[in-house]
Amino acid sequence: MNPDPVEAPIARLKVIGKRLARVDAKERVTGQAIYPADLSLPGMVHAKILRSPLAHARIGGIDTTRAQAMKGVVAVVTAADFPAMPVGSTIPMGETGYDMWMVAAINMARDKVHWIGQPVAAVAAVDLHTAAAALALIDVEYEPLEPVLGILAAMAPEAPVLHEHVFTKGIEPRPRAPSNVCSRVVISRGDPSAALADAHASARLRVKVDTAHQGYLEPQVAVAQVDANGFATVWASTQGQFTAELMIARMLDLPASKLKVVPLEIGGGFGGKIAIHGEAVAVRLAQKCQRPVKLVLTREEVLQGGSGPAAGALIDVAVAAQKDGGLRAIAGTYRMDAGGLPGMSPSLLMQASAALYQCPNLNLEGFDVVTNKPRTEAYRGPGGIQAAFAVEQAMDMLCQRLGMDPLEFRKRNASVTGSLMPIGTPFPAIGLDTILEAVGRHPCWTDPLPPGAYPRGRGLALGYWRGTSMTSAAHITIAGDGRPMVTMGAVDLSGTRSTMAQVVAEEFGLAIEDVHVQTGDSKSVGYSDGAAGSRVARTMTAALVEACGDALRQLRSRAAEKLQSAPELLHYADGVFRSPQPSGAAISLAELMQATLTDGAVVGRGVSSKLPLGVEIGAHVCDVEVDTDSGLVTVLRYTAFQDVGLALNPMAVEGQIEGSVVQGLGWALLEGFDYGADGRLRNASLLDYRMPTALDVPRIETVIVETPVPNVPYGVRGVGEVPIVPPAAAVANAIARAVGVRVGRMPMTPERVLGAIRAAPGSSCD
Amino acid sequence: MRNFIYVAPPSIEDAIGELRRGEARPLAGGTDLLPQLREGRRNADRIVDLKRIAELSAIRPLPDGGVAIGAAASATNVARHDVIAARYPAIAASARLLGSVQVQNRASLGGNVCNAAPSADVVPALICHQAYAHIAGASGGRRTPLEKLFAGPGRTVLQADEMLTALALAPVRQRSATTYLRFTPRREMDIAIAGVAVRIDLAEDRSIALARIALASVGPTPLRAMSAERLLLGKPLDRDLSLAAAGAAANDDARPISDTRASADYRRCLVEVLTRRALAACARTLNIALDLT
Amino acid sequence: MKMLLGCTINAQEHTVLVDPRDTLLELLRERIGLTGSKEGCGNGNCGTCTVLLDGAPVNACLVLALEVAGRDVVTIEGVARAGELHPIQSALVEAGGTQCGFCTPGIVLAAKALLDANAAPSEDDIRHAIAGNLCRCTGYGKIVDAIAIAATRMREG
Repeated sequence: MNPDPVEAPIARLKVIGKRLARVDAKERVTGQAIYPADLSLPGMVHAKILRSPLAHARIGGIDTTRAQAMKGVVAVVTAADFPAMPVGSTIPMGETGYDMWMVAAINMARDKVHWIGQPVAAVAAVDLHTAAAALALIDVEYEPLEPVLGILAAMAPEAPVLHEHVFTKGIEPRPRAPSNVCSRVVISRGDPSAALADAHASARLRVKVDTAHQGYLEPQVAVAQVDANGFATVWASTQGQFTAELMIARMLDLPASKLKVVPLEIGGGFGGKIAIHGEAVAVRLAQKCQRPVKLVLTREEVLQGGSGPAAGALIDVAVAAQKDGGLRAIAGTYRMDAGGLPGMSPSLLMQASAALYQCPNLNLEGFDVVTNKPRTEAYRGPGGIQAAFAVEQAMDMLCQRLGMDPLEFRKRNASVTGSLMPIGTPFPAIGLDTILEAVGRHPCWTDPLPPGAYPRGRGLALGYWRGTSMTSAAHITIAGDGRPMVTMGAVDLSGTRSTMAQVVAEEFGLAIEDVHVQTGDSKSVGYSDGAAGSRVARTMTAALVEACGDALRQLRSRAAEKLQSAPELLHYADGVFRSPQPSGAAISLAELMQATLTDGAVVGRGVSSKLPLGVEIGAHVCDVEVDTDSGLVTVLRYTAFQDVGLALNPMAVEGQIEGSVVQGLGWALLEGFDYGADGRLRNASLLDYRMPTALDVPRIETVIVETPVPNVPYGVRGVGEVPIVPPAAAVANAIARAVGVRVGRMPMTPERVLGAIRAAPGSSCD
Repeated sequence: MRNFIYVAPPSIEDAIGELRRGEARPLAGGTDLLPQLREGRRNADRIVDLKRIAELSAIRPLPDGGVAIGAAASATNVARHDVIAARYPAIAASARLLGSVQVQNRASLGGNVCNAAPSADVVPALICHQAYAHIAGASGGRRTPLEKLFAGPGRTVLQADEMLTALALAPVRQRSATTYLRFTPRREMDIAIAGVAVRIDLAEDRSIALARIALASVGPTPLRAMSAERLLLGKPLDRDLSLAAAGAAANDDARPISDTRASADYRRCLVEVLTRRALAACARTLNIALDLT
Repeated sequence: MKMLLGCTINAQEHTVLVDPRDTLLELLRERIGLTGSKEGCGNGNCGTCTVLLDGAPVNACLVLALEVAGRDVVTIEGVARAGELHPIQSALVEAGGTQCGFCTPGIVLAAKALLDANAAPSEDDIRHAIAGNLCRCTGYGKIVDAIAIAATRMREG
């Protein structure tokens, strides 16, 4: 919608900052864009995975003889076809690496299964019907074990233990018995108990959040081909070709030089396609049958254990303030459901929930707990949304008790540049106060809520996400017509082909049409971490600024020779090198390349590593109407304010925010996994796992604020993750204002909302 | 999926002949059958495509003033049909609830009926319109009141060699209004958590001459809310009566279970709400002021 | 046992050997090689396989290939004419109505069917027409804008 930047972007930019159409939109609207499932290779066979029907069991033995003998079956694999992965194996990624023992288990169970749907074998056959029939001929002996499904049940001392090697990290002294609590993290300062005890006002809340799914419309796909020399090529739907390559190579014990991963178009990822789900299995099958193998997950597989959904949570929070609204304490217990294998440290999500508040006393305690359900993975700001659902509601309750306007409360306590974050480091430049000012002036806040047939309310919630930087690389060559050809190392998840074309066009003084951008495979471009953590646009901008500089220096040197001038004396602008007066001789990039084509390539290289963070902050305002007969909540109006540092392309930024908000609304009101007592997902289809349709959400209005990140090219911040963080809390706060009840369950389905209304003291119950 | 033989017979007689061979299933829109075959919930070694039999897709007026809807007529065609839209708006509205536009263009009312899900959205309004199921079989044709067609969740009383050919609706009377309302968490695309169709016909003195209330998703089959109907019959429709009838439908007639979509309690609550609202909608059509939300 | 199927796809006649179990989606993607129609769920709940069958939008995953014998199918590949984009396609490009692109072919066809029948749809009409097409990336706002822009342009000729 209408961007309303509070601080005007740098006026001299010609391409950056413009609402330009995506450079790859035409392929999408004509059906020409190629996704991995669209590939067909000569001799290709089709793979299917046999998955565990039990949530917790030991594997006694697997007999594949009958499947191997079936006509049309060309290969069968089990865990026996993969090297055992020792606990503690990792592949490099960012600061902490990525747990390979866990990745191997997600892709092929060994000795034990920990969730329904975990792979135990796979076949490749001449067609899918044969492959499916062959699965039924694989005999697996299971020794069923008692599954543990709930977070509290898993944390109980007498609970069946999923992993004998897991001892809770973060407890002193080191425990002697294994546990389902994989880690405990504490972030604290001051004395929150004392502060809570004598606060003027306090609020406590417990929330339970159901597991949800990223809901990418394209299921995981891998196509693997091994050539006569044993070199494997994998085309995959992946957020990171280098990470995928490392995982595949490690899982197969393949030398790094023996494979490459080619990323094609990806039909959504949102964090769920960082880990591999079948790629290594496809390669092993291809090695065995010496034919290309295509593995496509069905939607049922994606939902029923074949991919990693977002963690469910049980969170208790208490907040306290003094009479003038100054926050005194935030205390929270964050229990995250990791699914069947150890998950992520709760540290980031806990920090995110408290970061935006200046508060002297903090005690945030987080637990990562395993249960017999699919191992959870990232979903845009992972953990942030669940934590905000708790903390932002608690803050709102505090406002109600203080009789204080929720926006004034946020302003009173807002973190600013230099404020201490929960772990004690000071915030670099942030614009939360600017965002809050913008909210206060906007009609979504100042317009009175129009009355309706049912009670209506307005809610405010904030969101924070730190994001990450890691490494991005790119190189630029110059075509014979003088135009830059960019190869970037990061997968295009957010439209970075287009925004990076804008960056390079800006640096070269050209038009966006003059720049060609492609994504390289894992052997044709410099190592880049995956597209995740809202990192690509900003870090690839930095890498490309360096690459452009490098290319232009080489071009300048050539131009100087052609113009018979010293390189440093030439002036470059808009695709032309010019000699100083009185000569004024000029040469365009096209002319230059034509004249020097056979002299060798111009290759500009750039890499960005550990760029200063561009943290994401948002504030959302939501109006709802609550049908008090049925509990149905209708979102009437939604406005998202976000500081993006600098909007490389406002239309793209809006698109990221609008989409991420709607995902947040989906989890807020409609989406949640419903597990039966046996650990089977009861709503494993897109009929009963309800993602919002065009009729279920209003227009999302976005307001872009720009507080640039200092000392990084163009000051760009990450965009795509934080918008998913506030919606559930904003809706819950709006519901509370409408009908006076707090819904502590996410999703806030009509049944749950009605239940909360009816359970409230003073309500008339049937 | 097991392999099957696909046939597209040109007549009802040929279709019956095909249905007698092996494990055969009739195919109209396929929007229920194909997912079931794919997921292994139903098996077939013969698929009998009914769409070449013109009379099965026809919607034609009956001599008594009613309408016969061919079992294979698509939801879109039913909803757009002049006579249906004008005289049976609740049927048109129900047809539009069978899923997205893409699904409505294929799904048939007959298929929705024969799939026999308790949540079938077209069934309550059809029951209100006193629909008869016309059945053809190897031993001849028969007809049965629609509500007697259902044997349990996913099961009808049709024999293996029988098929539904049409749904015959009674003629619409004067001073008559029918409404179908259902509850879903999303605006469309969902299976009803509860559905209520109400039909009220008024006598000349404005008392209720006929009351029909049919419920979806709150029992093993679609249900008639008989105690609610009995409460209404013969009386003028007013606020208190509406509330009483809604309560009776929810507490005495509905027999919901709890499942992944909703609890039994919530379903009961929705039956009460939807019955109340459907009565209010009928009242508005009949120019009765009810003072009800 | 495979059966012979004759049908028209994007105004071109095809004769193909199909497995009776093949859906129209599998026919298009696997037998004919038209991969623009996508599979997102396989049971009619996401709309990424939307094609036009005799002009009406349907989920190709819910139609058996054999059912389209003698019938007319239009897929995303048949919407642009001789390289010239349909107004819906160009509007989606200009208005930012496509991100990952996986839902886009289905949306184009659902929107085309809408505008072929209703030249001046309201926003509610548009949202109804695409209610069967899930999008996870855009939040729908810019898609709705694009369809409205296309409608205006088509009315103005």
